[in-house]
Amino acid sequence: MLKLPQSSTDRKHFVIVGALVVIATIALGFFLLAILPVKAQHSVQAEPIRWLFQLHVWLIAFLFALVVVFMLYALIVFRKRKGDDSEGEHFEGNTTLEVAWTVIPLILVVIFSFIGFQTLRDATRGGDEVQVEAVGFQWSWTFNYPNGVVSQEMVLPVNKPALISLRATDVIHSFWVVEWGPKQDLVPGMTTRIHITPTKVGEFQIVCAELCGLSHWSMVAKVRVVPEDEYIAWMNQKLVEQNIQTASR
Amino acid sequence: MQLTSLGLVRGIIGYFVGLVIGMAVVMISRLALGMSAWDQEAGWVGGIVFATIGFMLAVGSMTDWLKWTRGVETPFHHGPPVGKPAWTRYFSVDYNHKVIGIQYGVTGFLLLIIGGSFALVFRAELADSGISFLQPGTYNTFLSMHAWVALASILLGVGGMANYLVPLMIGAEDMAFPRLNAFAYWINVPAIITLMISMLFGWDSGWTAYPPLSLRGPVGYQMVFWAIFGIGLSSILGSLNLIVTMLTMRPKGMTLFRMPIFCWAILATSIIQLTATQLIGLAFLMLSFERTLGMPFFNPLYNALGENIGGQPLLFQHLFWFYSHPAVYVFVLPGLGIISELLPVFARKPLFGYRWIALSSLAIALVGFLVWGHHMFTSGYGEYLRVVFMISTLLVAVPTGVKFFSWLGTLWGGRLTFPTPMLFTLGAISVFLIGGLSGPILATAATDLFLHDSYFVVGHFHATIFGGFVFPFFAAIYYWYPKITGRMYNETLGKIHFWLMTPGFWVMSLAQMTAGTMGMRRRIADYDPALGVEPVHMLITIAGFVIAFSILLMIYNLFTSAEVGALAGNNPWRSRSPEWQIPSPVPEHSYARPITVVGEPYDYGLAGSTYVAMAGAGDD
Repeated sequence: MLKLPQSSTDRKHFVIVGALVVIATIALGFFLLAILPVKAQHSVQAEPIRWLFQLHVWLIAFLFALVVVFMLYALIVFRKRKGDDSEGEHFEGNTTLEVAWTVIPLILVVIFSFIGFQTLRDATRGGDEVQVEAVGFQWSWTFNYPNGVVSQEMVLPVNKPALISLRATDVIHSFWVVEWGPKQDLVPGMTTRIHITPTKVGEFQIVCAELCGLSHWSMVAKVRVVPEDEYIAWMNQKLVEQNIQTASR
Repeated sequence: MQLTSLGLVRGIIGYFVGLVIGMAVVMISRLALGMSAWDQEAGWVGGIVFATIGFMLAVGSMTDWLKWTRGVETPFHHGPPVGKPAWTRYFSVDYNHKVIGIQYGVTGFLLLIIGGSFALVFRAELADSGISFLQPGTYNTFLSMHAWVALASILLGVGGMANYLVPLMIGAEDMAFPRLNAFAYWINVPAIITLMISMLFGWDSGWTAYPPLSLRGPVGYQMVFWAIFGIGLSSILGSLNLIVTMLTMRPKGMTLFRMPIFCWAILATSIIQLTATQLIGLAFLMLSFERTLGMPFFNPLYNALGENIGGQPLLFQHLFWFYSHPAVYVFVLPGLGIISELLPVFARKPLFGYRWIALSSLAIALVGFLVWGHHMFTSGYGEYLRVVFMISTLLVAVPTGVKFFSWLGTLWGGRLTFPTPMLFTLGAISVFLIGGLSGPILATAATDLFLHDSYFVVGHFHATIFGGFVFPFFAAIYYWYPKITGRMYNETLGKIHFWLMTPGFWVMSLAQMTAGTMGMRRRIADYDPALGVEPVHMLITIAGFVIAFSILLMIYNLFTSAEVGALAGNNPWRSRSPEWQIPSPVPEHSYARPITVVGEPYDYGLAGSTYVAMAGAGDD
């Protein structure tokens, strides 16, 4: 059995705790990644979000391990033994340490601000090769294409940057496709926009992510991401169905 | 004894008399203006305003002031009631800060139970997908009520700790303005009645009450606006009182940096409450005016050309969060102060870096004023604001980190014991750590765009508030219980409470975050099982009920121990703080003679040092 030193400032304590922090960080990091499965993975904009999330998870794992391991170690090693009526060691603080744990987090804040700025830029930019307007109202959605096509489901071609304009007619709603990542509110009196470049063919749900009254929970619409030729075929069919003359547009 | 000799009973009668008068005044005014007599918006607003005044008059909270206006003198000291059982003073206006502290604390605890029960109702509904017993309209009302009742409970709990402890800790006989103190407590009661009445009509926006939704829904909204206005008024007046008390009534020798650290937390909290609360009062008042009188503050209004000549919904969000973000620090700073207060006692060691901890509270309060926009990353405001608020928000991590590391420094090398208050203090650190560390993920805007309004946020803020308020509040209750009642609580029951509640909370928090990353939205009455979150929801519900059960144990413990608990003596924790040097329960006027501060508050382990000197010690 390891014999622990009496003095709390003995280096041996810190070597042991340091080793435990490293182990705990790794274990915790993988545990957190397992229980926090970020479902945003099917758009270009989701990539930076997932990347930053995972970076956060590792930092969290380290900081959590740092505090909890130090704390648990102290609780065990510095617990009051039976029959020991002495008081704790008398030290009131340590300015070097206080400065260190003010300045180091400050540096981390600067780094994360910079990274945060870059990922924000990457998660919100994109092209406008496809344009569609989503109109939210209590409690449903309509989608208007620039050529006049109106649809109850949103259809987008895969791998084409889409610019989705958002408009609310009554109260605030929020446009969210979980698999795509970012969301954006719809505000009455404003037009807001969101860039999405879907990367996976399939059927997803557009949900309203801002409490908008009685049936908020069921304010969902279907979005289909399809290969480009299928998209064109769908659009042509809609044009015929809705009797819109393409030439005039 | 007559029932009407209780101020509370008179107040409630006054409330309903006022309600009727207020509605009648509105109806007569409307008839005089040639309108139909009854309009539910105007009628209820008039009713609520008069009902609140009626309550405050009938309960007696303004009696002394009204006497002064007529030149009638009132006694300087109001002692315990004469010719009535001692318990009656807790149901009537009383100017003793210890009574008011208990009134605040008990009311807060009661609201915590009510607010928590609302959560249990919808947690039961959410345990599996499909709507089983709670229809969406009712669900929305329960969800919204859960939030405001719980928030009110926290504000009152904080008020309870501050009112009971601050004067005791600084050796003052009472607060600077005892009548204002009583007024600030009692204004909460009609506000809470009003809030409860809103349930009869329902409202469905969540606590945030964003317009235009809150301008459209049922009349229940009006009650919420005015209830929160009342509770906010209480915050403003109460914090003013605390600031003056701490700045002017400290004993000889107690410089600001020799105050018990809890007082620093309350000072920082009070600065926020005094200033920021006015913004939510304003915002809710504007909502009420827009609803009642059609003043277009927030709702867009279009002219014939389609131009907006009305309001802007986002303006409300700015006003709302300018209070409601700093409010989070109102909820947690006192709790963090409790952690800093208790750790040295159970570690038998000085508080590590006292000045750093004291100033970090002020720093958190200050930075807290500059971060409100992080609640609006997805709102559609100017895009560059996202960057500004991301940076300011990340800065909060710095002073918060100082606290965590200083707590570790306090534990390191101590002689640690683990009675229930210490367990809850450590539990608070662990839970607040979960809440705190999940913050930066929401602070960096890109990740927030994904997680905003998801269960991840729900997990984050419940961990922050449980770690920053609920756990420390419980630690404080167990810790000062012997000082308040003179008897010890049951240690075994206390430990069972802890070991049920803490793991229960860890599970609940992490499961909520899991649900969030899987795409579970906040505030929805039912969810799509295709998300795969059903087992996670079951887990959250079970954990929620475990926490609720553990709190029942606490209530049982507190009730029974008041009768059968072992006598505690003056100072069962061997604390240096002045309130532990006087008898338990604390006498009517606390300190028989003024105290003098002769040392540092937390010099545990320094032989021969004391914090306070009691003049003529030993004769109490």
